[in-house]
Amino acid sequence: MTHDTSALMPAVRTEIKLAEENFLTDDFLRQLINVGEVDILIGVPTHNNAKTIGAIVQAIQGGILRWFPRERAVIINPDGGSRDGTPELVTGISIDDLRPVSNLHALRTLHCVSTLYGNGPSSAVALRTILAAAELLRAKACIVMSPESSHTEGDWVSKLLLPIRKDGFDLVTPTYRRHKFDGLLVTNLLYPMIRALYGLRIREPYMQEFGFSGGLAGEFLLQDVWNDGTNGRGIELRFALSAITGRQRICQSFLGQKDHVERHAADLVPALRETVGPLFSGLESTLRTWSNVTGSQPISTIGPDHEVLLNPVRVNRKRLKEMFSSGVAELAGVFQAILSPATLAELQRIAGLEEGNFCYPAELWVKTVYEFAASYQKSVISRDHIIQALAPLFRGRALTFLLENRNGTAEDVESNIEGLCLEFERLKPYLLQLWKSRE
Amino acid sequence: MPLNQDVLWYKDAIIYQVHVRTFYDSNGDGIGDFQGLEQKLGYLQELGVNAIWLMPFFPSPLRDDGYDIADYNAVHSGYGTLEDFRKVLESAHNRGIRVIIEMVLNHTSDQHPWFQESRSSRDNPRRDWYVWSETDERYQATRIIFLDTEKSNWAWDPISKAYYWHRFFSHQPDLNYDNPAVREQMWKVMSFWLEMGVDGFRLDAVPYLVEREGTNCENLPETHEILKDIRRRLDEQFPGRMLLAEANQWPADLRPYFAEGNEFHMAFHFPLMPRMFMGLKLEDRKPITEILQQTPEIPASCQWSLFLRNHDELTLEMVTDMERDYMYDSYAENKTMRLNLGIRRRLAPLLDNDRRRIELMNGMLMSLPGTPIIYYGDEIGMGDNINLGDRNGVRTPMQWSGGWNAGFSEAEPDRLYAPLIQNPVYGYPAVNVLSQLGSEHSLLRWMQRIIMVRASSAVFGRGSIEFLRPANHRILAYVRRLGNEAVLAVNNLSSAAQAVELDLKKYKGNILIEMSGKNMFPRVGDQPYLLTLGPYQFYWFRLRRI
Repeated sequence: MTHDTSALMPAVRTEIKLAEENFLTDDFLRQLINVGEVDILIGVPTHNNAKTIGAIVQAIQGGILRWFPRERAVIINPDGGSRDGTPELVTGISIDDLRPVSNLHALRTLHCVSTLYGNGPSSAVALRTILAAAELLRAKACIVMSPESSHTEGDWVSKLLLPIRKDGFDLVTPTYRRHKFDGLLVTNLLYPMIRALYGLRIREPYMQEFGFSGGLAGEFLLQDVWNDGTNGRGIELRFALSAITGRQRICQSFLGQKDHVERHAADLVPALRETVGPLFSGLESTLRTWSNVTGSQPISTIGPDHEVLLNPVRVNRKRLKEMFSSGVAELAGVFQAILSPATLAELQRIAGLEEGNFCYPAELWVKTVYEFAASYQKSVISRDHIIQALAPLFRGRALTFLLENRNGTAEDVESNIEGLCLEFERLKPYLLQLWKSRE
Repeated sequence: MPLNQDVLWYKDAIIYQVHVRTFYDSNGDGIGDFQGLEQKLGYLQELGVNAIWLMPFFPSPLRDDGYDIADYNAVHSGYGTLEDFRKVLESAHNRGIRVIIEMVLNHTSDQHPWFQESRSSRDNPRRDWYVWSETDERYQATRIIFLDTEKSNWAWDPISKAYYWHRFFSHQPDLNYDNPAVREQMWKVMSFWLEMGVDGFRLDAVPYLVEREGTNCENLPETHEILKDIRRRLDEQFPGRMLLAEANQWPADLRPYFAEGNEFHMAFHFPLMPRMFMGLKLEDRKPITEILQQTPEIPASCQWSLFLRNHDELTLEMVTDMERDYMYDSYAENKTMRLNLGIRRRLAPLLDNDRRRIELMNGMLMSLPGTPIIYYGDEIGMGDNINLGDRNGVRTPMQWSGGWNAGFSEAEPDRLYAPLIQNPVYGYPAVNVLSQLGSEHSLLRWMQRIIMVRASSAVFGRGSIEFLRPANHRILAYVRRLGNEAVLAVNNLSSAAQAVELDLKKYKGNILIEMSGKNMFPRVGDQPYLLTLGPYQFYWFRLRRI
């Protein structure tokens, strides 16, 4: 007796695939069923944010009440295993608590759903949870809010959502009022390089607060980014890059002041992994897109595209210089595999300069970055080592930015950033040349 | 069928609101009359209602649909005679239907002889029966109710060269309740009808009886004292009769109208009605549960009176500005539909003639705590005519059949007191009693059944309410309890099918029996009770231990 199992096989395969994709818990699903279809969804990923989360959720609720009183809304809180009661704070805040202070009255039930996704923070799992919820609830517009900002205002909700709800944008990136020395990785690498690559002047491509359409959420959810071995690093940047390369409608919206966050030297490599890693890794698959782009265009911007705070801050320039110089010396072998001899020689030359005379010129920095990108694509050494090796060089570039803008006005700072961007654009053929020569 | 002798009869009542003029014309003059109403009492009995509320039928210039009374002790000649009214009363009682009539205490028509005397001379004995003033500056803190037509609560009387006070139209001068003679006279008026046998009064515009400087002239203690005095006399001389308050106020302000059970027996729950519509449109129970949470407890002998629509606009006075804007945008996008602070539309058009929503709203009306009032014609899904002025668009002739004048009158069509609804959707050929009686699945037949189900249990009229709070906010669920009887009502406010888990632990061991089809549902256990409901579906379950 023989059995024809061929008809059964596809079903079995489908079952396994579906089982693999069941990353939402039953309890979370049950909560989503209760929420039902929504118009807007606000994702607030958390991990031990008890100090700030209460005010942020209240600001969000206030924003919903003020700007979207008629919309069906839900706050989704994926939590990475907080031990400080963060989820309880999120779900415990009642919209009615706002009434005495704001005189706002909710027409509708505002659901606040919290779900535990693991025992440690993962922005990728958190975002995936938010996107999945958005798809299941058929949200028309969504935002993700940082759980850390002490400046979050209710109107951030409208600033990120209205362009989607009213104007049909798919992605709303933020712009902020920042200190001139905040976000150096953004101003010296991410913004100018993404601008040169894809031709869009997106000031904050590494987004912590951002808005997106339900359609974009659904598309990104289906992409093969969740189990590709990157552990979801830099998922927010990948999300933005996906929108950029997918030719989605993108705008940016000025939110207001962004917190200054004290960074430690040890924070840099993880930050590079989160940002430069996905930026470089995306180059290969999007070659056809970026290789045809020349110059750049501004994108729709609601409010100013940046604002600069100039108050004096203390920076340990000497240490930056030391870390740059020692890095160039200690990693010479690694750099030989990554950089061209001319670039390496120039780096070694400037590493010997006194701090007072130090300058890591824009052209050299751009070539450095492009050569790193090309080497990353070819995996001349471990890709993670390539990213790590960029850290001391970035410190050198940061030092130059600090020195150049020490006494600079807002206009001076912007002029320098613009100059660097133009340098990235001007030298883009160099990147293409490297790329082709290494193919 | 004898009348139920229980003095709390109004708690079990299902009231049908009707204007004699609109219901049935027996003599072919184009105007409904008492003889016509009497002929149609069988229809109301078959519908299942056990009380009717008659809108003003007194002699009147009819500038406010009879709320401008010119003689309190007679019947408008167009509607018949006092004898005709007596016959209606008797016939209704014989059918087990009580009769509640309108009583406008606050004001009269300016054509009433009392006002004519009052304005005739400052020395007239009835001068002080109304509120006169040399200036229009008094009581400035008082709001104007008919914003669309009135600019002030004072009107200049060129005859007596003074201002008189009016809270409604300027042709409706307010009586002066500070005058004991007025209070005495109005009790005499009420006694006149009570002695004839009416079962209760719907007292119109009761918050406004007394004026005091520096106040908003609403809900004043002096007003409550007057109303308590009326109640005291009623209980002493006519026990078992009922007073229903029309006080369009917030729940906290409404509560005093029940006092300690010694003022009104019933009061309309005005704030609930718009929130039922709001909850339906929002697909969210929040507006409904919120207002009911804010509704204070009332004495055991008292009762809320619930309604979906009535002869007035769907009032939006008792909502916030934001809620009002939402209601306008949701239910009256066409500004012609708006009047004062409300929406002048009937139930079916408000709900887009969606049978499921009409049933759901009636289901909630019948199962929330209170006595339901059905506005004439809504039981068949009658439409409205927003092109008629004021609120006349919701006061068109009852549609009895698809024949001549909708079976309402044998008069020439242009003699009818108001044009019939003619449009293809709601016109009388499409929507009428006769055709719906012929169809088991018509709205009318459904209304008969739901009324019968409601009447099968006193829990709806007298039971307590406990809201369940399932996480699914589209589901409005509550348990009504009276003694050992418990009924679970579950309403899906959503246009989509919903699953809901109900916490029924308290009722563990009970089985659920759906009250309409009498079908059993599984026994309540330890786990949340899972129900699925279709779009706008609702269930009433009797909870039974077997």
